Amino acid sequence: MLDIRDLTVRYHSMGRTTDAVNGISLRIDKGSFTGLVGESGSGKSTLMTALLGLLPPGTDVMGQILYKGADIIRMQESEMRDLRWKEISLVPQGAQNSFTPVMKIKRHIEEVLNVHSGKFGEDAEKEAARLLEDVGLDAGIKERYPHELSGGQKQRAAIALALACSPALLLADEPTTALDVIIQAEILELLSGLRKSKNLSIILVTHDLPLAAMVCDRLVVMKDGIIAETGTPSELVNDPRHPHTKDLVREMFWQRDKKNG
Amino acid sequence: MRDILKRKSVIMLICIFFAGFLGPMLISGHPSDVTGAPFARPLWWNAKLPLSSEYVVGNSGVEINWEKLPPEIFALNGRITADPEKEVRIIWSTPVGEKTLDTLTGSDLYWINMDGRDMIFKQKLGLPLIGKSAEHLFPMSGRYSLRTEGAMETELSLSLSGGREGLLGTDQRGRDVLTLLIFGIRTSLIVGISATLIASLLGLGLGLATGYIGGLFDAFVMRIVDVLLSIPTLPIMMVLAGLWGKGLWQLVLILSIFSWMGTARSVRALVLTVRESPWVEGLRVLGAKRGYILRRHLVPEAAPILLANIALGVPGAILAEAGLAFLGLSDPRLISWGRMLHEAHSFGAFTEGAWWLLIPPGLGIVALCLIFMDIGRFLEEKIDPRLGSGKNA
Amino acid sequence: MKNRWFWGRLLSSIGVLAAVLVLNFILFRVMPGDAVSTIIDPNFSPEAKDRLRELYGLDKPLLEQFFLYIKQMLTFSFGLSFLSRKPVWDELLSRLPGTLFLMATSMFLSSALGIWLGIKAALNRGKLAERIVLRAGAVTASFPGFFVQLVLIMLLARTFPIFPLRGSVSIPQPVGTLSVTLDYLWHMALPVLSLTLMGFGGWALYVRNLMVKALGEDFVLMARARGLSENRVVYGHAFRTILPPILTILLMSVPGLVSGAVITESVFSLHGVGTFLLEAVSGHDYPSAGAAFYMLALITVISNLLADVVYGLVDPRVRVGGRDQ
Repeated sequence: MLDIRDLTVRYHSMGRTTDAVNGISLRIDKGSFTGLVGESGSGKSTLMTALLGLLPPGTDVMGQILYKGADIIRMQESEMRDLRWKEISLVPQGAQNSFTPVMKIKRHIEEVLNVHSGKFGEDAEKEAARLLEDVGLDAGIKERYPHELSGGQKQRAAIALALACSPALLLADEPTTALDVIIQAEILELLSGLRKSKNLSIILVTHDLPLAAMVCDRLVVMKDGIIAETGTPSELVNDPRHPHTKDLVREMFWQRDKKNG
Repeated sequence: MRDILKRKSVIMLICIFFAGFLGPMLISGHPSDVTGAPFARPLWWNAKLPLSSEYVVGNSGVEINWEKLPPEIFALNGRITADPEKEVRIIWSTPVGEKTLDTLTGSDLYWINMDGRDMIFKQKLGLPLIGKSAEHLFPMSGRYSLRTEGAMETELSLSLSGGREGLLGTDQRGRDVLTLLIFGIRTSLIVGISATLIASLLGLGLGLATGYIGGLFDAFVMRIVDVLLSIPTLPIMMVLAGLWGKGLWQLVLILSIFSWMGTARSVRALVLTVRESPWVEGLRVLGAKRGYILRRHLVPEAAPILLANIALGVPGAILAEAGLAFLGLSDPRLISWGRMLHEAHSFGAFTEGAWWLLIPPGLGIVALCLIFMDIGRFLEEKIDPRLGSGKNA
Repeated sequence: MKNRWFWGRLLSSIGVLAAVLVLNFILFRVMPGDAVSTIIDPNFSPEAKDRLRELYGLDKPLLEQFFLYIKQMLTFSFGLSFLSRKPVWDELLSRLPGTLFLMATSMFLSSALGIWLGIKAALNRGKLAERIVLRAGAVTASFPGFFVQLVLIMLLARTFPIFPLRGSVSIPQPVGTLSVTLDYLWHMALPVLSLTLMGFGGWALYVRNLMVKALGEDFVLMARARGLSENRVVYGHAFRTILPPILTILLMSVPGLVSGAVITESVFSLHGVGTFLLEAVSGHDYPSAGAAFYMLALITVISNLLADVVYGLVDPRVRVGGRDQ
């Protein structure tokens, strides 16, 4: 469904040039739950931004990103807009800032329904309520403003918003950072469940290998703009090949051992 | 801080300072002296208008070649001695004919004080009562002469005030605008700076006090600040100026009362942040007294903020003074740019098209405001990096 | 919850009004010394003075006088003017619409123009449009208003006689509602134009800064990520978010508007509360001056309260409490 071929993203800033993503190739199949694991600076966020066509102007992009056959990089902005949210949507890192402060939650959802799904008025409102219930939120949340919600609630609401137009691909960028452990688990369970019920493909971006290993059916490890290794969770955990993967796995076990005393 | 002296606005300010305080000493005469006709244009404007001229009229009279437009005022002063029995006539000869300006008998000494603007003069000569008589006395370019007949000694002086006078023209009374402009510098600077200084000191004091003492006192003063900020400033200043009197220092006081609030708030905010900082805590633990902390640490921290506030507050004070003066609520005897604009507005500058009464004082005010605002911005920029490297944790 | 916040603001406004009343009382009754001369024309006969003294309660103790004064102010019974011997309230009423019109139109026009320019500048960063706006903003802020107005009169009313030199209406007044309206607008054109010219710069600068900041926020990027059109993102999300601070400035500009109106009325010899105040103050007409000042302060307090209420309606974060993480 998504075929990334030899993608390079080059930033120019203050006279320096950085390749945030350097010649990576990746395939995402329909219905898969892929975990993109890497530390900050590994290029994973840049990759997400590139998938939505939201890279800042002046950024060089080379290679191809083929979504259902069409190259996202070469698309016009208007075509891109049709693609966004209807096909590919994003649950952003730090959902705290992703809502417009002066708009009610329901307005956020209704708006994308108006623009992309052609639903208006009462239809849209009912749909918004349903979406929020699907992610485990009380329907009353829709009348609230973003600042009234707790971290966990905002994350769920962001997921509901991301699913509003029934996209084929969901990008979840660090959806569990800054949330406490119980909520983390709930969110992951939610994503898993939704994937099955809506036949969604999900790319989960995180720095937390064990977390990704728990829910994803495939892991892609990134470091410094390149793909270090890919494989199933059990493959990577039991038999890491790349030195970076080895480090991550080692770290994972060390943490586990620390917890177990 | 040395580079402040290199800034253009500071250089201009220093020049203005010199012009304002040394200028009056160098200028001979008093600004309220009448130097020419009312509403005379600047020298460099419209060369067809004549300059002022004065002619000595002796026994043989005087002959004038007049090429330009008529003068503004025709005035003849002096004395004539004659035989009381004889008739003395003062004759004005123009290219189109002669006019007898006056016929005198019965005395041996006549004091002449003829002014062309006088109604009686106009009536005597059959000139229209409205309009400038000088225009009728100078119907065209050509040769003119003034002489006396039948007098023994003629000691007269004919002064023809021109339509052009001074570098910046004259006002409705005939006073030189450039002189007025220079004398007005003092007022703007003194009022602007002293009002702002007083307001800043007031603001500093109250800011420090409320920030440090806190509690009910703080709440009370802040309430007063809120109320004062909600009252429209110009109307209240108008009322106070009208009720208290229009003197210079009353004005300064009135301006100060309504400008301290901003400084107080900034200083108070500063005190609140600094008060909680670790190094002040440390000082307190070491036993430093409140007064010591205030004096040696808080005040120096506040100083740069104060400086910037002052520089930015002076334009406000200058504008406020100009505004009140423009409305007519300042001392009429005090020369200020606002007052000049008031007189221009109220005494017919528009009908005369006398732009030289408007532009110089107005631009002067604008210039001073821009200069102080530039200085203020410069100081603000200096402050910002300082706060970053400051002692605040 | 909305109510609690609203009553809070109302209480605060009443507090300010109370302070204004006290101030008025002190300024116009206590300070001039002889309270009598502040209400009763010194030229009245002694018998008339005594009767009026009783009528106005000036023989009563100060505190009672104060409460009487408050009652008078709240019922708009301002007494008679010294200069015209007519009821002050009638005079004020005839002048109020002019002043309000001037304030309202200049506020609306200068903010609308300024906001539009500010948004344009923020959207065209680095380009000529932005630079012009920034310059204009800095310059118009430092010009004394009445100077600009005087220059405008000289240029557009004398050198090129397009507009009238002074006054609110032509003398003699034209006949017919349309003619009267057009005549009034023609007279108000220069005053409103000058106030707008002087006011828009500050707005443009402020809004430009706000928009630049808003456009850099995460939620704007997210709005784009949701495939919303650029217009929707800029106006529906970014601009919508900076509305509350814009309203704050609207609120804070009211006292300045009042002062601006007073000066403008003077420059153009308009028939308004400002010129009324000036005449009263210059002529030591205490009843008129006190009433005019009170009205101006009242306008300020009411507009502040109104702006506060609208602010609350627009920014939910203010009237609905938030939940912390």
